[in-house]
Amino acid sequence: MKKVALFLLCICFASVSFSSDMGPTDALKGQIDEGLKLLSDPKYKDPSLKKVQREKIWEIVRKAFDFTEVSGRALAVNWKKFSPDQRKEFTEVFSEILGNAYLDKIQGAYKDEKIVYIGQEMVTDSKAIVKTKIVREKGEILVDYSMKLKDSNWKVYDVQAEGISLVQNYRSQFNEILIKESPDDLIKRLRKKLDEQQKADKK
Amino acid sequence: MKRFPAVIACYIALIAFITVSPSYSAPDVLLPEDGSVSMMETGKDPLPVILIAEGSDYSDDDPDFLKEEAREEVIRIADPLYYWNKGMFHFNDKLYFWFLKPVATAYRAVIPGMVRSGVQNFFNNLEMPVRFVNCILQGKFEAASNEFARFIVNSTEGILGFDDPAKNYPELKKGDEDLGQTFATYGIGNGFYIVWPFLGPSTLRDTFGMAGDRFLKPVSYIEPLEVSLGVTGFRMINATSFKIGDYESFKKAALEPYEGLRNAYIQNRQKKVRE
Repeated sequence: MKKVALFLLCICFASVSFSSDMGPTDALKGQIDEGLKLLSDPKYKDPSLKKVQREKIWEIVRKAFDFTEVSGRALAVNWKKFSPDQRKEFTEVFSEILGNAYLDKIQGAYKDEKIVYIGQEMVTDSKAIVKTKIVREKGEILVDYSMKLKDSNWKVYDVQAEGISLVQNYRSQFNEILIKESPDDLIKRLRKKLDEQQKADKK
Repeated sequence: MKRFPAVIACYIALIAFITVSPSYSAPDVLLPEDGSVSMMETGKDPLPVILIAEGSDYSDDDPDFLKEEAREEVIRIADPLYYWNKGMFHFNDKLYFWFLKPVATAYRAVIPGMVRSGVQNFFNNLEMPVRFVNCILQGKFEAASNEFARFIVNSTEGILGFDDPAKNYPELKKGDEDLGQTFATYGIGNGFYIVWPFLGPSTLRDTFGMAGDRFLKPVSYIEPLEVSLGVTGFRMINATSFKIGDYESFKKAALEPYEGLRNAYIQNRQKKVRE
């Protein structure tokens, strides 16, 4: 009996650590499917539950993305100007801004759109690009996910839509700001942006 | 390739057609092709504070990505017309929110999606000469022959291009080429960034490209000019009806929308040139 229990335990652990054997596409697809399941769950049709649904999706997004890496790459060389505390604060506010900006869209648009997995490209053993496209009412959007293996999990650190890298786009904006302003100013501006977003959302 | 001789004959016929033909319509600009997804107004509340693992990452002064960064190609674009461009950016922004968006929203409410889709297909089909000629100018002969085949299929089976039956043949990929990209493959750089009223972001090179492509677009030969502009405007509204919400999302996510759009335009063009 004990042996059986041990065996079952082993299987449990094995399935947990399987994530590392899983390729980047499977990892990404797993997260996206989980999100889609939530989105199509009839339970959340009730408008009062939209908030709960949103929080659950946010949880999945947090698991799928490595926001520290996203933030670091968006700051690039400017990363060195930030103290560890500032880096942490920056990452928190920035990821909330991204979440706010894109969650509504994800919540609203999934019905009219389909995701097709085109393929994956291994850049190194621990880095990959997963190529997908979103098929919309009219036309398609190519979306590439840059993924990195971290602690045996594949996580997204950049998204490229029609060749436009999210990280590079923010880098150009942060650069522009950091030429004239300090890291604290930038964090302040991010907070202001977040406030604006939340106010606009409440309307 | 048994259809090859026929294709060559058609090329010649087509080039003859192009040199005498009317043609054009403006590019559907204004909206950033940031690949964003349409947006909806729902359940709006601050997101729960995100818990990021404490420690290691934040104290690292020289993380891996900085080393990678050094190898990455950096996208920069000169912007000597900054004040003009910023003015035009605001003009286009207002144009979208005060005119294009309300009109396209009403239009979308009245006109069924199938019809709007047909209109878009029709204009796309009409612009085949632009893509076709630029494929040839870039030496992409297979893409050019695909463009040609698409044109034939869509103009006949697709009833003057209102339908897009060619999309059922995945091997007939659309050759999304224009003169700006052709110039780029000849080694001509972007020059500098220009924002045009109505037309949106461009560069010096792409502006010359746009002007050249006009000659291959039937709509620019419509007389009088008012009608030609009217058709172009109609096309713009029709195209906008499919992407209401995209520009809003872009702005919602951006800290510096002007810089964000400039960078997005350049990145997107670079990708198209690479292809």
